[in-house]
Parts: sequence; structure tokens; C-alpha cells
Amino acid sequence: MASQGLAYDGCNFFRQRLVLSTLSGKRVKISNIRSKDDNPGLRDFEASFIRLLDKVTNGSKIEINQTGTVLFYMPGLLHGGSVEHDCNMQRSVGYYLEALLMLAPFMKTSLKATLRGVTNDHTDPTIDMLKSTALPLMKKFGIDGEGFDLKVVKRGMAPGGGGEVFFSCPVRRTIRPVQLTDPGKIKRIRGVAYSVRVSPQMANRIVDSTRSVLNQFIPDIYIYTDHMKGANSGKSPGFGLTLVAETLNGSFLSAEMSSTPQGQGDPMLPEDLGRNCAKLLLEEVHRGGCVDSSNQSLTLLLMTLGQQDVSKVLLGPLSPYTIEFLRHIKDFFQIMFKIEVQKPSEDKRKGGDKVLMTCVGVGYSNINKTLK
Amino acid sequence: MKEKWYQEKTKKKNGPKAERKKLKKHGGPTEEDARKRNPKAFAVQSAVRMAKTFHRSQDMKTKKHHIPLVDRTPLEPPPIVIVVVGPPKVGKSTLIRCLIKNFTRQKLGDICGPVTIVSGKKRRLTFMECNNDINTMIDLAKVADLVLMLIDASFGFEMETFEFLNICQVHGFPRIMGVLTHLDSFKNNKVLRKTKKNLKHRFWTEVYQGAKLFYLSGMVYGEYQLQEVKNLGRFISVMKFRPLVWQTSHPYVLVDRMEDLTDPELVRTDPKCDRTVSLYGYLRGTHLKNKGQVHIPGVGDFQVADVNFLPDPCALPDAQKKRALNEKERLLYAPMAGVGGVVYDKDAVYIDLPASHVNQQQMRPTTELVQSLIDTHATLDAKMAASKVSLFSGSATLEPEDIGEQKKEGLQEESVWDPNTQRERRKVVFTTEDEEDVSGSSDDEDGDSEDSDQEDQGEDDGEKNLSTFLKEARAKCVETTKTGAGAPPVKRPKLEERKGESAEVPAFADSEDDLEVSEDEEESGGEEEAGRAGDSGHCSEEDEEESDDGEEESEELCCEFSILLFLSAGGLKWKEGLQQKASDAFLRQQQAAPNLRKRVYGSVVEVDDSEDEEQELGGLFRVSRPQNSKKFQANAVDSSRFSPDASHNWELEEMLNSIRDCFVTGKWDESQDAATLLKEDGERGEAIHSDDGSSCIACDQQNSENDDDDDDQEESVVKVDDKEAMKNKRLEKKQRLKERFDSEYDDGDATYFDDLKEEMQKQAELNRAEFEDVDDETRVQYEGFRPGMYVRLEIPSLPCEFVTNFDPHYPIILGGLGSSEGNVGYLQMRLKKHRWYHRILKTRDPLILSLGWRRFQTMPLYHIEDHNGRHRLLKYTPQHMHCGASIWGPVTPQGTGFLAVQTVAGVKANFRIAATGVVLDLDKSVTVVKKLKLIGYPEKIFKNTSFIKGMFNTVLEVAKFEGASVRTVSGVRGQIKKALSTPAGAFRATFEDRLLMSDVVFLRSWFPVTIPQLYNPVTSLLLPVGQKDSWAGMRTLGQLKHDLGIRNKPNADSLYKPVVRAQRHFNRLQIPKELQKALPFKSKPKQLQPKGKTPRDLQRPSVIREPHEKKVAALLHALSTVHNYNRKKAHTLQHAKHKQFLQEKGKQEEAKLQRQKEARKKLYRAMGQADQKNQRSSLKGET
Repeated sequence: MASQGLAYDGCNFFRQRLVLSTLSGKRVKISNIRSKDDNPGLRDFEASFIRLLDKVTNGSKIEINQTGTVLFYMPGLLHGGSVEHDCNMQRSVGYYLEALLMLAPFMKTSLKATLRGVTNDHTDPTIDMLKSTALPLMKKFGIDGEGFDLKVVKRGMAPGGGGEVFFSCPVRRTIRPVQLTDPGKIKRIRGVAYSVRVSPQMANRIVDSTRSVLNQFIPDIYIYTDHMKGANSGKSPGFGLTLVAETLNGSFLSAEMSSTPQGQGDPMLPEDLGRNCAKLLLEEVHRGGCVDSSNQSLTLLLMTLGQQDVSKVLLGPLSPYTIEFLRHIKDFFQIMFKIEVQKPSEDKRKGGDKVLMTCVGVGYSNINKTLK
Repeated sequence: MKEKWYQEKTKKKNGPKAERKKLKKHGGPTEEDARKRNPKAFAVQSAVRMAKTFHRSQDMKTKKHHIPLVDRTPLEPPPIVIVVVGPPKVGKSTLIRCLIKNFTRQKLGDICGPVTIVSGKKRRLTFMECNNDINTMIDLAKVADLVLMLIDASFGFEMETFEFLNICQVHGFPRIMGVLTHLDSFKNNKVLRKTKKNLKHRFWTEVYQGAKLFYLSGMVYGEYQLQEVKNLGRFISVMKFRPLVWQTSHPYVLVDRMEDLTDPELVRTDPKCDRTVSLYGYLRGTHLKNKGQVHIPGVGDFQVADVNFLPDPCALPDAQKKRALNEKERLLYAPMAGVGGVVYDKDAVYIDLPASHVNQQQMRPTTELVQSLIDTHATLDAKMAASKVSLFSGSATLEPEDIGEQKKEGLQEESVWDPNTQRERRKVVFTTEDEEDVSGSSDDEDGDSEDSDQEDQGEDDGEKNLSTFLKEARAKCVETTKTGAGAPPVKRPKLEERKGESAEVPAFADSEDDLEVSEDEEESGGEEEAGRAGDSGHCSEEDEEESDDGEEESEELCCEFSILLFLSAGGLKWKEGLQQKASDAFLRQQQAAPNLRKRVYGSVVEVDDSEDEEQELGGLFRVSRPQNSKKFQANAVDSSRFSPDASHNWELEEMLNSIRDCFVTGKWDESQDAATLLKEDGERGEAIHSDDGSSCIACDQQNSENDDDDDDQEESVVKVDDKEAMKNKRLEKKQRLKERFDSEYDDGDATYFDDLKEEMQKQAELNRAEFEDVDDETRVQYEGFRPGMYVRLEIPSLPCEFVTNFDPHYPIILGGLGSSEGNVGYLQMRLKKHRWYHRILKTRDPLILSLGWRRFQTMPLYHIEDHNGRHRLLKYTPQHMHCGASIWGPVTPQGTGFLAVQTVAGVKANFRIAATGVVLDLDKSVTVVKKLKLIGYPEKIFKNTSFIKGMFNTVLEVAKFEGASVRTVSGVRGQIKKALSTPAGAFRATFEDRLLMSDVVFLRSWFPVTIPQLYNPVTSLLLPVGQKDSWAGMRTLGQLKHDLGIRNKPNADSLYKPVVRAQRHFNRLQIPKELQKALPFKSKPKQLQPKGKTPRDLQRPSVIREPHEKKVAALLHALSTVHNYNRKKAHTLQHAKHKQFLQEKGKQEEAKLQRQKEARKKLYRAMGQADQKNQRSSLKGET
């Protein structure tokens, strides 16, 4: 059969390629993975990601050459079910979960994944953030119902890990088109200040400093303090903050920050962290849109995989990751988005440029789901 | 006025109806009255029954609902595909010809391929004749919107009709209209009527009750009667169609034109080379994406190289005012049948010149020359250009464009024969289009655009050496980019001067970037270095690179700023002028923002630079160029986090103010402001209060007018603009109020269904409106090619048989495949043998399936689900039941129907459709198992424990089965315990009872079966013309054996032998003598056998006595008689005496016994008394 494949260079946007390949059924070949590097080939966390992908699919074929610089991936069918995975410590669980969020609605049986590893770190969106932004976002696409859940069972901070996350998601046959063009005004700000293996007072200090910044805008702020103890606290000390701003129309903007991992870089004061995180949230509000910057690609993917109807969504400025994602969507699904920049009018004080993304879905239907 | 008069005229003056009307007018008894008069009759008799009837009526109502779907039909729909089906010689072509004549007033001779006509102001039709090949029937059933099913009434239904109906049923049921022909062969009117009725009812049971059946009563001059055809045409042109699931979810094209684009030279040198073919047709179904995958039934799966849309060759009329079409608008388009005259292609015009036409033209000086001109597909210098030189045998050829890769800008020419002026005209071909074309698809380079490309390249001198070649290529690149971009080059302000760094020069994928001169390249290279040093890998290389080109995005710029500043900064120097810089960036971004699309997707048509990289020159030298494809930093950190814009300083009040209105505490819009909302509410309340509901609007209007008046009084001078604005505002408010009122009072009974429907309606409107005002070129990129467009698909590497064995009578269908439908995997399906198919199907016998667009041969395994969910293998399909089937085949969405035939070759008398079913599940692993019984024998028997041998071969195997339950043939159950060391494979098992050495122990297990991976597409279209219905795939085992004359040698034990029964001998019935005696005479065994003759030796001579002897004998006899008598007498006496004696003796004996008894009694009493006495005394003694 003349099913064509796609070829890429380099390990960047590794997840996007594999996820889109799995969803579109097109095989993909990634070559020159860190071929010029001193330590060539795939890293452990990427290998772990591939292993996770192998667990949730059925019949995938993965070939890696001796040095690990060339990967060939022929996707199988998404299977789902109960999956347990020990994520590599180099990246947090968010790295793996972001991909699972994209794949989970299209499995054969509903996914019940238990991921172990680092729950909060610097490079990837943390679990708290995904829980508070990605899940309500997916609900708008009709992925909802019983068993749609993301739970932090144990919290594990960066170097040591030891956290555990449970994610379950029902399956859908089709995805609803959405029209998210008006984000509405922010009505409340919520957040979680977490601390593990440090003084519980840290969380309170974070809360105070955060409030001092955000209170200039809105009084309805509530930041939960979450101090996990004993077995639930992972292996490394640390603390952090996730802030979520909810608008009247039910879109969520979030920002987060966590303390520097133990033994890496200068330690951070909780007050600074709170203040910086609040500023990050303001930055996010400035960017605006109906979807926050880390979930842009998830939104665009679900729009692409919708029925053959027009979907619209208003985003803040596109992140480089999203821009590459759009290119990949074009490669895998031949879908181009109509991108319109909306300038803020002079008198309105609503942050920067917004981007209105419009597309017609591919009419994707979940071919993995069993017909009863 | 006129209407009234009409009413007057038609009003009834008398009759029962008029009476009733009169009565009504005078207030006669109405239903209302009856209710009043006799309220009891209308009273609720039973609340339960009423509830039940209500329930039922509601149920019936909701049952009628279908799930509402979004209406995705395009505004200008593609022509309706009408497939005319029927057995041979039933009048299919005649009917098509008549219908075409009816609609277009044109006569068409041979019906080849699809014929498209304009039938009305809004409707076009495509007729396609379906021949009797089952392949064609299957393919056409999948694309048909309407099926005209021709039935020879004089013969009745034929198998083809039923086969086609069954095919339709499986692949979604298109509209079906029956047409009875040959009705003139009936002479008897009664017979005719009866036949019609019979056929109609049978047709109804097959299609649906009340399906339309047309009667074409007779022929007039070889055509059907005009009126009947007209009626049929009318029916067709008003018919409505239901959307079919498969058709609405897949794009497809019924090809009505084919052109071979392969280089004629290539064909000449290798007639069997793969062909590049362009196929044309109306796109149907759904949006088609460029470069997608298509399946051509009968050929295979192909990658589309390029799709273009062409002007509609059979367009609908523009003006919609008139009622009927005029002659010019009654278009007919059938290129395969040789109608259509001039056909336009993307870059050429084809003119149909029939041979006879050429001969008529005597004006032409040399027909041969012109003919040869027509014959050649390329001009001479194009051919020159196309010719290649190979330096070494086996190496790649050196092409002229490799050497002089230069292109002349501007206009080019192409010669086209003009039939009007009888001369060769030089047509102007615009190179820009060509260029786009080249860049659009890399395959084009050796495809059709070659002639124009190579033409001018050929003109260039080919002796340029390689170094100049490279330089020129580079220069050309710059040149084209310069000409390509319309906007004046905007120079990017220099941020820092870091010249001299000779990093690798970034490449420019985007030819429309306008700043690409070498000096800038150096600079940008330097900057890129700086950028990479600072950024954490979030920014891809391309972003930076593009920002160099003047299309900056604010965030990147700022990012860059910060990085640069970090580099230069020691102290807080960078803080100064930061705001100035930020505002600069903002302004620049304001100018550059519209290019976001270009930033993401590159220019509209991307240059495929991977091709260039791989390019080799004559197989010897690799063209070394800067790495074009390296668009981004390939090995950066893969994270979705978007680093914040460093230029935003959230300490500043100004920055904070910029987002104030994002919060509910900020300023609201006019329309949403609390104050205005309150005011509105107040007004509304007023309106409602002042009104009793019905004329709320009018009242409101008054109110607003009053307001207006007040305003007027207050402000005497009002500008005209203001007035207008006020008016608009008022209207808007009114509209809003009306909506609110409506929603409160009218939509009381809106159900969930209505809401859903409304939602779908809204979505459909949005879908239509979104890209309405975008031009087609751009729209196609967003949406894909929409159905209704006339498209041209270019498909490379088609097998040459497709072109050489092309037969227009067979339909060519391009069926678009969805994502991952091009893959192969295991499919689980539910299958049922067709009840009209007279044989059952065997597992692993090859079967031809029609699934999705495809027809393919595969080897199914049949299985049935046990109650515990196990799929147990079946050897044969059940006779009248569904069973599961697992195949290796193309991945197809669940719920897709399929049908199976055993062979597609030839025509058979029997019904050909073997089975039908539906796809249930896709899986990459198999779950079918078959039963496997492992047998062992006891080796040693203890009480309930036995050692079993012979079931396994190794200890490991036993270990796997530890704990498994086993059983003996006699039904004793047991369990495997542990392996024994010797013999290998023996184990200890316990049973519920003691085994015998003769017992056989078995273990019941399930063994997974592998599904044979056979996927063999039916390539019937590639067969030679005339043999297309003779495709033979893999034969079944039975057929193979039959063909090769192989017979299995059966096991001798299994054969049936004649039953030979041993003769049984039964002994005679022996009746004991006693019984014989007791039997009555009739039951006594008779000595029926006559006495046999006594043998001679036993025969004794008879004795004849002398008289004396006689006397003596008589005396002796007398004496003995006397003696006997005396003796008998004495004996009787004796007997009597003895009897008496015995009696006496008995009496005596009795007396004696009596006496003894008495004595014993006495004795025992005495003994007992003595005993008692003894005991008593002993007791006494003791005490």
C-alpha cells in the first residue's frame, strides 16, 4: 500500500510529530537526532515517551538505530485501558501528559493512566496547571462525562520525583466544533500554592506576596495551600504556585512557577516566587485569548480533528511551539488555519494582539472505538 | 381581485357541502356546541387510559425524529450521478440517449463514460451506464445518487437486478427508481396489467413500499415515447436525495476525462514505464485536501501529486430570472464520448478533431504535416531540452537545466492551432503561473511544465561550468525573490554591529522575503548566533531568521532585545530607553503583523527544497548548497511553555493599566455595561407594565419616540449623523426587545430536539459564511477543494496498463481516503452468509470483499463469540446466522458495510453475493482461538494421584500449565500439580477418583490462530479491454484441487464400506417336556415332519408266523394279560394297606411328640423354678 511517510530532522518537537503521526496514521521518520552532539541520540526521557506511546497503542512499530539518531515510527491503533508508566526524571509528568491529553479521547477503551515521576518542574506545564486549564478546555470540545479526571496522588518535586498522577479520560467518536471568540472578563483568580518537604509556612508566604500584586485588579482571589506530607510528598523538597484566572465565559488563563530544584541554581524566596508568578499571570492576561499559551496546540489539534465544520478560537500571540505545531498539522492533516490578527483598539485596555484562528475540521472520527 | 372572482366562481351553491356551510354560518351545531350539550360524552373516562394514549402519541412523535445533522451541501452542488442499471439488452443506452435528447435536444451516439448535462436552473445530471460486470456494479453503487433500474417486463426480474439491489443496500441506499421496458411485447391487456402489478409489488418489497416504478410502454422509431421520457425527466429533476454516510464523509470524483501526461519520449523508450496521468471530474462528497491519498477501485491506492480546480465545463446558467433554460445553456459535456469540443486544461487547450473532420478540410496544404504536429505532444526544442546525456552508463543523466539553471523571466510562447484562421497562433503563456506550478509540486518538474521550462533553458548555452552555475542559481534565487515580493523592502534597523562572524548562512525557504542580499546575510547570521546563545531553545531558528527579514513579531523582537541587552549589559544601562524601544517594537509590529500567516506557513506555495538538496549532477557531483531545509534549530528543548515577553515590566503602572479592562472590575463595553443594561431593563419593565402584552412592540416604539422627542427638546441642534446613529440604536433596541419578548412568550414549547436543530442550523450558516468572500485560490487552501468544483488531479506512477487498457465504458472513480484509511490492519466484522447464496463459506478460503472504496481479495477467518467473550474459530459460516469474521485488510471506519463475492470473473446463473456484513472493530492483534486438546496417559497410579506422561515434552511446558484442570474421557476431573523430573514432560496430577491405566487424560486449551495476511486488490481496470470482467485472484483450495485434479487420499478407516452382516443362526426352541405336557393340544409343538424313510439296512424283514405259532402267541398273550391284571390288583391292595399304615404311624408319632412336649414343659418349669430359687437364695446369701 502506498501509505506515505513523513521525514523530519532533529529531535525538537518530538512529541508533536509522534502524536500527530499516531492520530493520522502516517508513518514518520526522524533522523539526525542530536547527531552532532557529544552525547548523540535519543535522551532517556524521549525513550520513556516512546515506551509510553507503545503502551497506549496496539501494533506500533518503532525502530531506532544503534546510536539512537534515527527513529522510525509506524503508528498502530490507540488502545488505551489501564496504563502505568514510570516517567523519566529528566522531564516532568506534564511532558508525557500533554501528549496523552491529545491522544486520550481517541482511544479504543477509555484511558486510565497512572504516571509516576516528577509532577512539578520548570520546563513543562505542571499537573496543577493542566488540571485547571486543559481539562475545562477539553470539556468545551465535548470531551466530558464520567471518568474525566486528573488527580495528583503524590507530589514529587524536580530532581527526586516520586510523584504520582492519575489521569482518566473517556473516549469520543467525534469532536464538537467550537466557537471561542470572546474570552470575556476575568471574574476570579484561583490558585494552588504547594509545598512539599519544606515548612508549610512557605505556601502562606507565597499566597501573601501573590495577593499583593493581584489585588490591584480584582478582589476575588483565593489561593489554596496544599502541603503534602509523608509518602505523598515525593523525594525532593520544593514549593511552587499555580494561578488560574477564570473569565465570565469560562475560559481559563494560567501561570505557574516552582522553586528551583534542590542543588541546581540559586534558591528562591517564596515571596519572590509569588510575585513573579503573579506577574506571569498578568503577562498571560496581557496575551489574552480564550486559551492560555501552553494549551494553544491542544486547542488547535482538537479543532483540526473536529467534524467538517468551521471552528474558531481566539488566541494570544502564537508561541513558537504552536507555530511549529501548525506546520505539523499541515503536514499530517493538510489543514491550514486562517490566521487573523486582531489589533486592540486604542481606548480599550485589553492587552496585546490577539490572533483569531479559524479552520474547517478534517472530519476525523475515532476509528479505534469499537462498535457494539 | 382576480382571486376573489375565482373564489366566487368556485363557491358551491348547493349540495351537502353547501348545506353544511350554510348551517355553520347560521350558527349550527359545531363541536364546541356538542361539548356543551353533552359534557359527559367528552369527560375523561379513565385517567390511566388517557395517560397511556398521551404517552403513546408522544412516543410516536419522537420516533419520527432523526438526529439532526449539519447541512454541509455546497451552494453549487455537483451534478447528480444517475446510474442506469439493468441486464443486457434491456434498453439502458436508449434510455440515456432519450433523456439526454429530452434535456439538451442533442443526440449522442455511443454512450462512453459519464455524460454531464444541465437539466435545469439549479440542477445538473451525470448519466453513467452500468454494464453487467459485477465490478462495475459495485463501484457505481458507491457513487450513485440515483439509480434507474431497468427491468425487462417481458422477462421479469433478472439476477443482476437483485444483485445490484443488494450491493446498494450494503453501501448505503441511494434513491432507486424502477423503469419497466419492453411493455409493448404484451399483446393481452390483462396479462400486461397483472405483470405490472406483480413486478411492482416485488419491487416494493425489495426497495420500499411505494417506490416509484416507471413504465415505458413502447418504442417509436427506436426511441421511447416522448411524453414518457419527459415525465421521467421531470421526476428526476425534482427528486430529493438523502445524504449517505460514506459519501458525505469522503471526497470522490467520477472521472469524466483522462489525459496521459507522461513524457512521450519516456513512453517510447520504455512502453511499460509508470505513467503520470491527470484525471478530471466533478468533486463530490466532501472537501478534498491537496496531496491526499486516493483509491481508484480496480487499480489501487495512489498519492495525488497535485490538485487544481478548473473552470466548470458544464456550468449552471448565471441568470436565475427566466423560467426555462435557453438553448445555449443546455450544455452537454462528455469528453469520453467525444462531446465537449474544446477542453481547457490548467496550461493548455485541447481541441477535439475527429478524423472525418480533418479530411473535410481541403484548405490545408499538407494534412500530414499538421497531423504530425497534432500528434507530437512537445515542440522540437522541448524535446531537445528533454534529451539527457549520461556521462557514465548507469549513472543519472545530466539534464540541460542542471547546467544552465536559468530562467528567462517574462512571457513565453506556445503554439496552438487556431481552427478559425487556419494558422498556427502563438499563444502567450505566463511564466509566473508556471513557476508557481513548479514550486507547488516537485514532481511537476519532470512532468507537464517541463516543456515550457526546458524550452528556454535549452536556449541558454549549455557550456557553463559548474562554478558559474552555482553562482547563477544563487543569483536567480535572489532575483526571483525580488520580483516576487511586491512590497518595497523594509530595512530592519540595525541593533548591534557584529559583523565578521562567518557563521553558516541561513537559508531562505521563503522566496517572498525581501531582504536577502549578501551583506545582510552576514549580519543576520551574526544575530542569529546571539539569539541562540541566549534563548532556551523555545525559539526555533526560523523564527529568528524570519525576524531578520523584516517580518518581526513583537515577542520575538523583544526577546531578541533582551538577549542583546543581556549580552551588552553590565549594569542597569539597558534600562534606559527601554520604553522607547518597546514602543518602537510595537509600531513595527503594527506594520508587520498581517504576515503572520506567511510566517507560519511560509509563502502561499512552498518551495520544496528537500528536492534540491538531493539533486545530483550527472550522478557524479553533488550540488553543494547552504542547507536550505534546516529551518529551525533541530535539537532544541521540546517544551510547550511560552517564555514571557521580557520587555513587559509589570512594575510599571502603564503596563498594569494596559490590561485593566480584562477584569470584571475594568471598564465594560457600551452594550454590556451594567448601567445600560439596567436602563434597558427599566425600559422593558415599563413597556410590560404599560401594556397588556400583545402590542408591546408598538408601545415600545411610542415610548422610544417620546424619548426621542424629549431629546429633541433638550438638544435643539442635532447633527444628521447623530440622528442616524440614534435611529439605528433605536432600531437595535427594538429588535432586542422583540427578541426578548419572543423568547419569553413564543418559545415555550422548544424542546431539546429543536435546540439541537437550531444549533446545527447555526453551524451550517457559519460554515457557509466563513469563507464566502475569500477568493477560490485561497479558500481552497483553508477548506480544501469543495464539492461541486471541477477538479484536475495529477497522479504519478500509475501502472501503464491503466492507460493502455483504458476503456471508457468502465467507470474510473477516485475515492478519497481519510486519515489512516490508507493503512492495513486486522479488521473484525460481523458477517452473514447471504441467504440466496447456495453454499456455505469456508474459513481461510479467499474471498473478494467490497469495503469502503475498495475491492480486494482476502482470507477471512470465521468465528463466533462464546458466552465468555472468547472468539472461537469456526470452520464454516453458519447457515442462517451471523458470525464474526476477521480479515487482514485496509483500515476502514467501524460501521462501514461490506459485501463479499467469491469470484468477480464472468457471469454465473447463480446469485453471486456470498455474504454481507459490517465492520465492528479494528485491531492490530488477533483474538481468534481454536480448541486444542492435549492428551496424556497415566504412567503410575497411586490412590487419587497419578503420574501422567505424554502430554508435554519438557518441564517448562508443564510449568506453564501448573494448576490447569484436566479430565479423563470417563469424566474424572483433576488438576496438574507439578512436573516430574523423569521422564521429561511428565507431571503429577490429582484426580477426584482413582484412575485406571486404560484412562486417557486430556487438557482442554485454546490456541490463538493467526490470520493470513493476504490483501490483494482487485485490479480489474488494468486488464485488457474486453477482458475486464475476467479478473481471477487466488483460487480457493477446492477450486485448486478441482483444477489440478488433486484428490486427497482419504484415511482408509474413514471410508464407508458396504455393510456386511454375518448370518445368524438361532437354536431351536426347546420346550421342556413338563411344559409340553401342560400345554393344551393346540399349543403343543407338532411333530410335523413326516417320518423319514427308514433306510434299507435298517428295514427288517417282516415275520410271518405259522398257525401254531400264532396259537401259542395268542395263549401267551392271554396268560400275560391275566397275570398283569392280577399283579395290578395286588399292587392296589398293597398300596391302600401301606397308606393306612402310614396314617397310623403318623398318629402315633404325633401323640409321641405331644407327650415329649408335655414332659419338656414340666422339666423346664422345674428347672426355672430351681433357678429362681437358686438366685433368690444366692441373693439372700449375699445379703
